[in-house]
Amino acid sequence: MSTCVITGFGAGIGRATAIRLAKEGLFDKYALIGRNEKDMNSTWEEMTHFLSTDRIKIYHLDLSKPELIPAVVEEIHNEMGDISCLLNIAGYTDPKSLLTTSLESFELTYKVNVFAPFMLMRECVKYMKGGGGKILNVASTAGMTPRPGWLSYASSKASVISMSQTLTAELAEYGISVYCVSPGRCATKLRKRLAPDEDPSTIMQPEDVAEVICNLIGPNECCLDGQNIVIRKAVK
Amino acid sequence: MYSLVLLSGGTGSRMHNTVPKQYLLLAGKPVIMHILERVDLVNEISEIIIVCTDEYISSIQLMLNQYGIRKPVRFAPAGETRQESVYNGLSLVQTSDVIIHEAARPFVKTEDFQRLINEESRNAMYGLSIPFTVIRGHDYVEGVLTRSELLNVQLPHKFETQLLKEAHEKARSEQKEFTEDASMVFNYFPQTKIKVCEGMEYDIKLTTRIDMLAGEQIYKEFFVRRK
Repeated sequence: MSTCVITGFGAGIGRATAIRLAKEGLFDKYALIGRNEKDMNSTWEEMTHFLSTDRIKIYHLDLSKPELIPAVVEEIHNEMGDISCLLNIAGYTDPKSLLTTSLESFELTYKVNVFAPFMLMRECVKYMKGGGGKILNVASTAGMTPRPGWLSYASSKASVISMSQTLTAELAEYGISVYCVSPGRCATKLRKRLAPDEDPSTIMQPEDVAEVICNLIGPNECCLDGQNIVIRKAVK
Repeated sequence: MYSLVLLSGGTGSRMHNTVPKQYLLLAGKPVIMHILERVDLVNEISEIIIVCTDEYISSIQLMLNQYGIRKPVRFAPAGETRQESVYNGLSLVQTSDVIIHEAARPFVKTEDFQRLINEESRNAMYGLSIPFTVIRGHDYVEGVLTRSELLNVQLPHKFETQLLKEAHEKARSEQKEFTEDASMVFNYFPQTKIKVCEGMEYDIKLTTRIDMLAGEQIYKEFFVRRK
């Protein structure tokens, strides 16, 4: 049995990916990690149109508390069996310039965007070592190019890119492939905080990113791990 | 089912290092964990007995937890000699068959353990042809050895537990010292067939600093499963 663990599935890219995966039936089971009850239930309900309810389970966890992750991953393994895929999609942003960024805000951004994916990878790999699998981290083009006023978010996403590339080499021995995608402007709630005046209909949609993610973690992908894959879409 | 006795009592003196080689980092991971991670995936091995000095037990326990090793692990005290260390490890073995391995030999794949286990003979070892000429002597040549008759003794080995225990008891009572177990069993039980399985070039023992350098390359070449 193969289980896919997904964070950030309540909205945006995570939601679009979870629903697409449910439609495609790529994995036997899905462990969904999140905390916003309303969003989570909405995605869960959508997924149940394609999968029986015993194949999807929600695990309540606030990713700003990464120290709680080991217990949750152990619970997932005990209840859903060996883990074969981890999708670190959840993200947080509080865009501010250097002089207005508080330590608390910087810390919270790093906890959700860096520490939580790190802990999830560390704990899931313990259960992926035997059979191999795939890890995909969602970074951002903000992690590659300078964006004044996005200090904590941009630097945290740069860290995600670097972690992914480092672990590609380290985890190859276990047959675990690590992917990193950096979406450009995408119509999500997070983007709304970064660029509140932007018309979301004029930029890339979460479903576009989900399509790329599903292709990468699907059985036919064979050579794009270890790279930072930029996802952009030309929009009229 | 098999118990695995993993010898990890080396002091690292030939590496000129204060940390024994089995605890040095190879590809970012302690040498001993390379083999423990792979053994953890071999179904026929029911438990691991690590033979080491007391001072390393807590560090190893921490690593076992960090690397998510699931098999039960027990510890036996390292002896003054390799033979004594094997004896100490053997004394904890309750399974009918045992595999002997060394932590300083990290380059054995899961399928290599499997091949040894699947070998029909209950007593078997890995051996590799010697690719160079060997002579007997020190300051002067004292004799010639026939290369085609020689084998490089590799690990792991597997034995019937009772047979190996008896061989060790005999060696102890005679105060004889053997550098590995196949020759000991052969010495006391020459009628017992010890099968030699074709060894692996990459199965080197990390002894000197240059072995660590070579080891990094072996790891990349044979153990990193990049597509």
